[in-house]
Amino acid sequence: MLTLLKNRKKLLGMNARNLDYVRPYNLKKSKLVADDKILSKRILKKAGLPVPRLIAKISNNEELEKFDWAGLPASFALKPNRGFGGEGIVVVYGKKKGREDAWVKASGDIITVDDLKNHIRNIIDGTYSLSNTPDVAFFEERLTLLKLFKPYSFKGIPDIRVIVFNKVPVMAMLRLPTKESGGKANLHQGAIGVGIDLATGTTTTAVLGKGRHIEYVPKTRLLLSGIRIPYWKDILKFSVQAQEASGLGFLGADVAIDKERGPVFLELNARPGLSIQIANLAGLKERLERVKGIKIKTLERGIRVGMDLFGGEIEEEVEEISGKKVIGVIEKVKVIGKDGKEAEVEAKIDTGAGLTAIDFDLARQLGFEKTVEEYQKLDVDYEKIKDLEKAEKEDVLKGIPDIVDTAIIHSSHGTTLRPMVRISFVLDGFVIPAKASIIDRSHLEYPMIIGKRNLGRFLVDVNK
Amino acid sequence: MENISPIISYFIRQGVPLDTVIMLFMLPIIVTLIAFFRQVVGIKAFGIYTPAIVTFAFLAIPQLRYGVVVFVTVIIVGMLMRYLLKRLKLLYLPRMAITLSIVAFSILLLLAMGGWMQRTGLAAVSIFPILIMVTLVEKFVGTQIEKGNRTALLLALETLAISIVGFYIASWTGLIKFIVVYPWVILATIPVNIFLGKWDGLRISEYVRFRDVLKNM
Repeated sequence: MLTLLKNRKKLLGMNARNLDYVRPYNLKKSKLVADDKILSKRILKKAGLPVPRLIAKISNNEELEKFDWAGLPASFALKPNRGFGGEGIVVVYGKKKGREDAWVKASGDIITVDDLKNHIRNIIDGTYSLSNTPDVAFFEERLTLLKLFKPYSFKGIPDIRVIVFNKVPVMAMLRLPTKESGGKANLHQGAIGVGIDLATGTTTTAVLGKGRHIEYVPKTRLLLSGIRIPYWKDILKFSVQAQEASGLGFLGADVAIDKERGPVFLELNARPGLSIQIANLAGLKERLERVKGIKIKTLERGIRVGMDLFGGEIEEEVEEISGKKVIGVIEKVKVIGKDGKEAEVEAKIDTGAGLTAIDFDLARQLGFEKTVEEYQKLDVDYEKIKDLEKAEKEDVLKGIPDIVDTAIIHSSHGTTLRPMVRISFVLDGFVIPAKASIIDRSHLEYPMIIGKRNLGRFLVDVNK
Repeated sequence: MENISPIISYFIRQGVPLDTVIMLFMLPIIVTLIAFFRQVVGIKAFGIYTPAIVTFAFLAIPQLRYGVVVFVTVIIVGMLMRYLLKRLKLLYLPRMAITLSIVAFSILLLLAMGGWMQRTGLAAVSIFPILIMVTLVEKFVGTQIEKGNRTALLLALETLAISIVGFYIASWTGLIKFIVVYPWVILATIPVNIFLGKWDGLRISEYVRFRDVLKNM
């Protein structure tokens, strides 16, 4: 109950969306652009964004009568110019075999020229337009489904909704058409919304329709989380560019990915829906307020800020589930040596190595000057002792101060016999006690490598 | 009625019927109620006009249940007609004209049925409230086309609920007597609406809609 009261301030409700964001940031002129698909297509194209190609438009009954049906391609999408919520859209996938005047819809149904004419008349009459005003019907290129999305979507093309505010992408979701939504990617028609981690473009939690949380695509074992969306940075870039071009301060950008063309900008939304918060299990209001007032000069900076502020949840989630920390390949560590002597270095996380190793110089800083000195004096040539018994080999280094163990390391530079000392290091908040071998690493980039034996509490993300 | 406000008695002296005066004074209360239901509770209904007009239609019918029966009949017949006419693929207005005509005939049948079942109250319902409800069908079918069956049905139920609440408020004798004595109190609805118009908090329905987010954020 208490968390409920605390969290309600982070959530964006319908009242706050309209009053605090749509009204002040989406001026009437920009809203008119967003509600006019042909106009927004033209403006976005001019701004250099890829948009679905316009095939033809029909503005009145006269144009409808004169229309050249034979000129239509085998597949296309027919849309009302001022439609909303995905209503009134007809998508055809190909011509009906052996017929010039009929196409096949996503559902497998046949649609004839007469059906299309009727539908277009309804569009022109304003059946699907905002406040039922007369409208224009247009045909545009049909996008083709990306292979990656094929198993996840039912007919129709999934798209990615990105909310952009003050040039910063603040939240995103992948929308997957389902059988219930009739192949449309609108949540209120029953599509699936999957939250996206802004930093990595990887999907997180999912919602079916407007309320129910799901983990799998219904009736399958296909996990909805962990889908890596291709062209992620481009998608964010297009969304921010679309904001600049349209002037919509609070924008819901829809981007689809075409098999051949890559990311294509679909639509501008001046009143983006709120269910994106359910898909992401996160509050929009909190994010919007964090971004409000920041001066963002360039496109890249806006994207960077969005990725940094609103990404990385996945990592935390992995850490929560596994109880392990996610670390990168190179990490800053604090090393503690003899008598509490400390040094801070960048260490290479090396899952190919069994043991942790430190450079002579670092060993000296940690209070093992004597160890290094004695070891260097011995100048052991492994070739000479390689035939000795194990215990005899260990004896070679006997007498070196602070030695706790010995190690024989086979590396690309050959095999060496090394002394080991007791150290501990602090990595991502954990204090790890370790035995480290000492060797000359002065020719290498990092003075320390951390090996498998000391990495049990971590998961390594090679992208980090 | 000795405390009757001078402004009310002035209207009555000018020949405005008391019922009309009270209805017009009730209107601000009803529409404020609808605004409150939308902004704070989150019950949408079909805009503000439809629930307000249905409330007044209910008030003009002798018994609330007859009003509800007419309302439900109109919605059901409207829904059936949409399915029946779908196959004909007609344009919007002619299709709506057919729907309205059929709805009108159904109501006539309903009234006759009321008489046959000895419910004379139903047959005695005056024509204007009935006509108002018949025209509801356009709103309903329009919503069906734009937002789908489920939403349309939900909005119809919400409209019905708000109108019933409105009906009870507007026919509450205590409130009517109060307005007759202190008609200026009605002006208080204006600051209430200014508050509602600036209210940016979560609606009650949104606590339900976003419960998972609120719990797991």
